[in-house]
Amino acid sequence: MLVFDHVSKRYPNGYDALSDVSLSVDAGEFVFLTGPSGAGKSTLLKLINGVERSSQGQVHIAGQNITRLPARKIPTLRQSIGVVFQNHQLLFDRRVYDNVALPLLIAGMKPTDIGRRVRAALSKVGLTGREDDWPETLSGGEQQRVGIARAVVHRPPILLADEPTGNLDPDLSREIMSLFLQFSQLGVTVLIATHDLELVEAMPARRVQLQDGRMIAR
Amino acid sequence: MNESASGSGAHIRQINRADRLKAWSRHHRQLFRSTLITLLNQPGALLITWLVIGIALSLPILLSLALREISEADTRQVIQPAMSVYLSVPSESETAQALLQSLRASSAVGEVRLITEQAALMEFSSLAGFGDVLNAFSENPLPGIIEVVPNERDGAGIKLLAQQIAGQDGVDQVSFDAAWLERLSAILGILERVLYALGVLFSGAVIFTIGNTLRLTIENQRAEIEITKLFGGSDSFVQRPFIYRGFWLGFGGALLAFLIIQASLMYLSGPVERLAQSYRSNFALEALDFGESIGLFALGALLGILGSWVSVWRYLKQIQPK
Repeated sequence: MLVFDHVSKRYPNGYDALSDVSLSVDAGEFVFLTGPSGAGKSTLLKLINGVERSSQGQVHIAGQNITRLPARKIPTLRQSIGVVFQNHQLLFDRRVYDNVALPLLIAGMKPTDIGRRVRAALSKVGLTGREDDWPETLSGGEQQRVGIARAVVHRPPILLADEPTGNLDPDLSREIMSLFLQFSQLGVTVLIATHDLELVEAMPARRVQLQDGRMIAR
Repeated sequence: MNESASGSGAHIRQINRADRLKAWSRHHRQLFRSTLITLLNQPGALLITWLVIGIALSLPILLSLALREISEADTRQVIQPAMSVYLSVPSESETAQALLQSLRASSAVGEVRLITEQAALMEFSSLAGFGDVLNAFSENPLPGIIEVVPNERDGAGIKLLAQQIAGQDGVDQVSFDAAWLERLSAILGILERVLYALGVLFSGAVIFTIGNTLRLTIENQRAEIEITKLFGGSDSFVQRPFIYRGFWLGFGGALLAFLIIQASLMYLSGPVERLAQSYRSNFALEALDFGESIGLFALGALLGILGSWVSVWRYLKQIQPK
């Protein structure tokens, strides 16, 4: 599903974020990216959804080489990827419903289908009946779950999460992680960048460790 | 999600052309309404923007309306006073009647009106103070007059016509103010150019006003735009709401311009009619007709879309998720 072939990323300021990373992830696999901050976890995720481009090497997604994908094709690529952020990045001037519906609007779905899908996604993350709430009235854990609902509502084959539990307490973190695990069991390829080693140890998942932009364990 | 990811497993989403077209037109229909509702949620700011655009659009249009009325053929006597052809023979005489016939037949002449000696006397004595003067004469001292409205518009041509008429039998003299006419048509020519320049300048002002308003909106929605792009919204998907906002700003501005124009015309109509009557003219400032009103709305909408397009596109492209 995901193939990194000797990928390096050097930022314009000369900083080497990734050096010679080779990695292959199967469809439906659940992978933790671990390592201290600055190890290149976020950069690796950004190479997948086309926010950054590799300086060397090739990135393949579902058999498609996206290394030199023209800018006009990037939106289509991103529509098949769900993203969860550390600070959840919800739009606070919109209700929960509209936040979750965003990927479906982008995909051009019918309003009736959107309603059905949004409610299904919210029930999946345990927020049934909360679609009319404003994000700021929700707790941190609930906000993150809205972020996850938004990331999966369009049923992307790939789900990326960058420190999704960074702001949550251990109990909530485990809860969130088990949600991700469920998605991978449904066939979604899940990549989670985290430095919460305790949590990673507790999960039955593959671990890719990065240090200074290099892979030291896969 | 229950029925979800299992089916959509391991392929990059492909959408066929017909579905994409449907989604595209649905997005347009939906934005047509939602952008207006969003704008109406801030009525104060919206009204001010509409007012600025309305004023900018109404000024050149009001000027052009005035200019059009002034230079239009059927009202030209206001500024092209009829020539007065003073007769050397009585107005009932055969010579005078023949002259009248030949003037009516002439293609250079638009309108011909005979003012008999008696009619001239009556009109003259009705003017304050002149009655007594005329009473001092034992008989009517006034000659018959033929008023001639030339078809010719420019001063030199009218001068030539006047000379031709002056050479005919039964004509004493022809009076009209040639120099004034020439100056006036020159002024009208200048005004017309000023008007074009104003039109271009004010249209530019409308485009920049709309562009600037939209830029501020974009700055406020930066987070939303980044997220939308991160979830696969294309540049044109992100731009579309701003195109519709531009459309509504321009269209609403044109609507206000329409109201400003109609109100101004009502405000001016009294004095203008009095002025026109003193020239024996039925000159009146005419409101925009149906077609012109539609044209005004279309112009506003077009300027709005244009303003959105030129200012927003590059700006939106620069906003990329990090």
